[in-house]
Amino acid sequence: MMVPVRCFTCGNVVGEHWEEFDTRAKEGEEDPQEVLDELGVERYCCRRMLVSHTDLVDVVSPYQ
Amino acid sequence: MAPAYDVEFVEREERKARFLVRGVTPAFANGIRRAMVADVPTMAIDEVRFIENSSVMFDEQIALRMGLIPLTTPPEGEFVEGDTVTLAIDVEGPGTAYSGDFVSSDELVKPADLNVPIIDLKDGQRLEAEADAAMDRGKSHARHQGGVAVGYRHLQRVEVVGDRDQFEDEEPHIVRGVIEDDGELVPTSEFDHDLTVRYPGKEVRIEDVPNAFVFHVETDGSFSVEELVTRAIDSLEQRARELEDAVQL
Repeated sequence: MMVPVRCFTCGNVVGEHWEEFDTRAKEGEEDPQEVLDELGVERYCCRRMLVSHTDLVDVVSPYQ
Repeated sequence: MAPAYDVEFVEREERKARFLVRGVTPAFANGIRRAMVADVPTMAIDEVRFIENSSVMFDEQIALRMGLIPLTTPPEGEFVEGDTVTLAIDVEGPGTAYSGDFVSSDELVKPADLNVPIIDLKDGQRLEAEADAAMDRGKSHARHQGGVAVGYRHLQRVEVVGDRDQFEDEEPHIVRGVIEDDGELVPTSEFDHDLTVRYPGKEVRIEDVPNAFVFHVETDGSFSVEELVTRAIDSLEQRARELEDAVQL
């Protein structure tokens, strides 16, 4: 639903980078690898948190 | 009685650092690591009273997200384990509730990162809650863990022992961590972790430097790396003293 606040594996806070990553790499045209490097999300455990995430709030909200 | 430790920083930032410690045993190095992960108390939200939550997520899901937000931890001595601070949040949709929307009752305890989304609110949805942050240790729950990805490696010494055979295959020689070359500390990332880049055509030998460890420490923002390490060592010392008192005749 919402982005996890922290990386499941190492506990680093990744939630704060979601919106920038989303606009620049997912919706934008930039290379996800470069965006993650710039955001300082280094380890692959933290990177997969953002790369594999899909926001579902908009999908479930009509069924409240 | 206390041996002198030699500490040298390789990389130093507010939330991330790498430093070399000489003259410690592997057991002591691991003791420091474990203390950083599990024994340094930090503030985190651990009880939430919801006044209104009409968002798409359940109260307990939101409470979990709030708990994981790092809060700044007050200087030592200001708070003890068990003390609480109240943070209030009131956000109305459409919009997103962020960790920065929390209003704290104490200046010393506030969200360390202001941009963590808590919940996306649609038209007419509202989130109003009061949260109590408490001081506890990483032992009891991961949200109280101040150190992130804390680890150490042996310092490695690289020695050139001769030239490589003329017709030998050029295979990469991967090493990770920090190497010592004639007393100079070089992070392996400088030469792409490949010794054949730094010493082309040379035969090299690597050995661990005894009792020298390179720590890699990151924090979640609760405090600086320095603070985390000194508090971890204080907690080790305190526990050692407790043990000493307990076994005294």
